[in-house]
Amino acid sequence: MVENSPSPLPERAIYGFVLFLGSQFGFCKFVLFLYLVWAYVPDEWLHSIGLTYWPQKYWAIAVPIYLLAAVVVCIVMLFGVNMINTAPLSSVDNITDVYARGQRIDDCQKRAIPRLKDVSISEVNRIFYLSPQ
Amino acid sequence: MQNGDQHYSMEDETYTDIDGKAISLECQSHSGFCREFTVSSAKVSIGRVMVYTCAVWLSAYIVFFITENTAVLSSAIIITLVGMMVHIHFVKVDHETLLIIGSLGVQVSSSYASGRESTDFIEMDKIKDIVINEAIHMQTVIYYLCILLKDPSDPEAVSSVVPLFQSSKPRLNCLVKVYKSCQEILAKC
Repeated sequence: MVENSPSPLPERAIYGFVLFLGSQFGFCKFVLFLYLVWAYVPDEWLHSIGLTYWPQKYWAIAVPIYLLAAVVVCIVMLFGVNMINTAPLSSVDNITDVYARGQRIDDCQKRAIPRLKDVSISEVNRIFYLSPQ
Repeated sequence: MQNGDQHYSMEDETYTDIDGKAISLECQSHSGFCREFTVSSAKVSIGRVMVYTCAVWLSAYIVFFITENTAVLSSAIIITLVGMMVHIHFVKVDHETLLIIGSLGVQVSSSYASGRESTDFIEMDKIKDIVINEAIHMQTVIYYLCILLKDPSDPEAVSSVVPLFQSSKPRLNCLVKVYKSCQEILAKC
């Protein structure tokens, strides 16, 4: 009886590679292949076969350039949007928020684990900087 | 200075701001309940001014050489002069001061390189606490000293935050000294 183990085997490597190739050439590479054919084959040859309704060859260059420019702009805008959404140093959101303000201060029972709650910034400062080290 | 003034210049420890530039802290204790802290940034360096001016005028001359348009030269001169005046009057902060008077209030003032001073006074009734907080600032996390203000109607809630030493942005060792000193005064009143 062959033991079942998840270790890598030569057969599993081959199965995995075949699956990978199939998934690639199933859809993505098919579209890429079609795009390359349309971009490189001259119009007369495509017309002679009978396929006449294609977009203009201008788009074969324009679409990749548009996509590259869009990627660069998105990277810049990602930094920008993050910096806009960061609260400024004078904002109360750096100190507290609505959940910390509304937390209940109830007495814990003896020898029970106290409730998880937010410690105020003044208390934190006292513990860090005023307590003798 | 009165007789009872104590004046510490903190020479043994060098302070820097968050970018690594050297700053200096000066603590003055005017009396038992009044202290003043001054954080001074580096002054305007004449070398950097000359480098910028030469770079701008050289590039303006090159543009003039290419385009043969004299307006480029005069506009470069005007822009340089106006830019320097605006910079030293509105942008470049020479030193920032925090004056804390127990049971009266806190005065925060910035003095610019041209001599202009902008001052703000906060009454002690409005002050909840002076704390060191950490926050995200331009892809880094920095420590900064801030005054927590409270609304008279709700003494337990923080209504707004006034960050201190915004132009010099000292590091934690400088802030801890100022914080401890301020807490001594706040604890008394």
